Amino acid sequence: MTRIWMFLLALFSLPALATPGTMIKDDTLRAQPAAAAAGVGQAAKGAAVEILGRQSGWTQIKAGGVTGWVRVLSVRGEAPAGGLADVGAALQKRDSSKVVAVAGLRGLSEEELKGARFNGQELARMDHYRVDRGGAQQFAMMANLRTRDVPHLPKPESKRSQPGGGASSNSMLDGF
Amino acid sequence: MKTLSRFLTCLVLSLSVGAGNVYADEVSDALKGLFKGFRKKESAPAPQPVAPVAPSSPAAPTPPSGQESPTDLLLKSLMSGKTSPEEEARIGQQIAGNLVGVAPLVRDDALQRYVNQVGRWVALQSERADLDWRFGVIESEDLNAFAAPGGYIFLTKGLYRRLNSESELAGVLGHEIGHVVKKHQLKLLQKSQGIAALGGFLSQKVKNSNELVQNLIGNGAEMMARGLDKDAEFEADRLGLVYAARSGYEAYGLPTVLAEIGHSAKGDARVSLLYKTHPHPEERLGQLSEAVGNRMDGVTDGQTGDSRFYRLR
Repeated sequence: MTRIWMFLLALFSLPALATPGTMIKDDTLRAQPAAAAAGVGQAAKGAAVEILGRQSGWTQIKAGGVTGWVRVLSVRGEAPAGGLADVGAALQKRDSSKVVAVAGLRGLSEEELKGARFNGQELARMDHYRVDRGGAQQFAMMANLRTRDVPHLPKPESKRSQPGGGASSNSMLDGF
Repeated sequence: MKTLSRFLTCLVLSLSVGAGNVYADEVSDALKGLFKGFRKKESAPAPQPVAPVAPSSPAAPTPPSGQESPTDLLLKSLMSGKTSPEEEARIGQQIAGNLVGVAPLVRDDALQRYVNQVGRWVALQSERADLDWRFGVIESEDLNAFAAPGGYIFLTKGLYRRLNSESELAGVLGHEIGHVVKKHQLKLLQKSQGIAALGGFLSQKVKNSNELVQNLIGNGAEMMARGLDKDAEFEADRLGLVYAARSGYEAYGLPTVLAEIGHSAKGDARVSLLYKTHPHPEERLGQLSEAVGNRMDGVTDGQTGDSRFYRLR
């Protein structure tokens, strides 16, 4: 029994340690989690790094012996050895109620969806949970969620974008 | 009969997509003529584009209950070249009713209400804020989420269990909201079934007009199983991230979920449908990374909503 607990403890303490990651794109390592912070190094796309932590839109990494912050979307975490999915499945089996749920459901296969039959009762149930505009606004107010103006993201240009064409600093970064 | 219905479905949808799609224009022009022939066999006139069911026309059959028949409603949308919000809702309703026929809603009132609060708030930041949005968590251990026309959004219990914060939920719902806003499902139906259905139509005769509405269901479910094209998924990712950020959430909920799902083994049955119908999460992350670049640097004060996040019992 003690061994199981130690095993679980080891599993859950994993995220606190450095996890392996891969750079999705080139980015500058910065001293602080902010775009204005001083650069302390560079990490190139595809580089293997260590992920140390995260703060808002920034991930702290160690690359080539240098520690610094890069944008969250510049680095991707790798699954720890054994795989998160396997861990999840192993934990699920310990919970008897979930085992029942898994056994009772065949999953959403293509065949099943094709052979689906309309269920008006369930649909009516769904209507029942509907939240209107006022309800959503009230929820947001209670949660202190404040709307912000965020423009839509353009579709990324193909890699061979014309140099000097798009004036945004982003496309300039892509050029390198 | 089934083939005919498919044809009609694709016709509705091809017309609803409108200009800008060369394929749709070609097919819809060809089909408009054919459709008139079909109406002749039923000895009813082609309906006018804008007029409601015309009582002035002596040949027009009056629907028994004073309600317009499904055929008439669909015909009107066909001939006008537009799918009205009501018709979109009807199509969505049947697809959604079909999906909950396979996987019912999780019996947890607090969960369903919570998901609707978050979802409706995120949807309010979209271009279709006033759609009759509905959100539901369905009984499935799969990791997946679905959207149907008209504002029906679903996510599986398996996916919900993988979420760790409200901002992640907002990102996932935002992605699905993006599909509805851009009418991706309607476009897919039209694209993939047009030609085949056209051929089938020529050898069919109509007996029961209600069947064509009924058959929308089957087509909708097939669509869920087939998935959208890659660009539609990438676009929905960009939209979802933006909607969540607009709603006051930390912007990176969706990419966090994508990274988490990406750790699932390819052979894991719970992601087989997702992997079949979507680009691999790694590819989606790469695309999002390119699209975002430094554009979100100034959007810093978002919430993760960890403490508020509803945990499954």
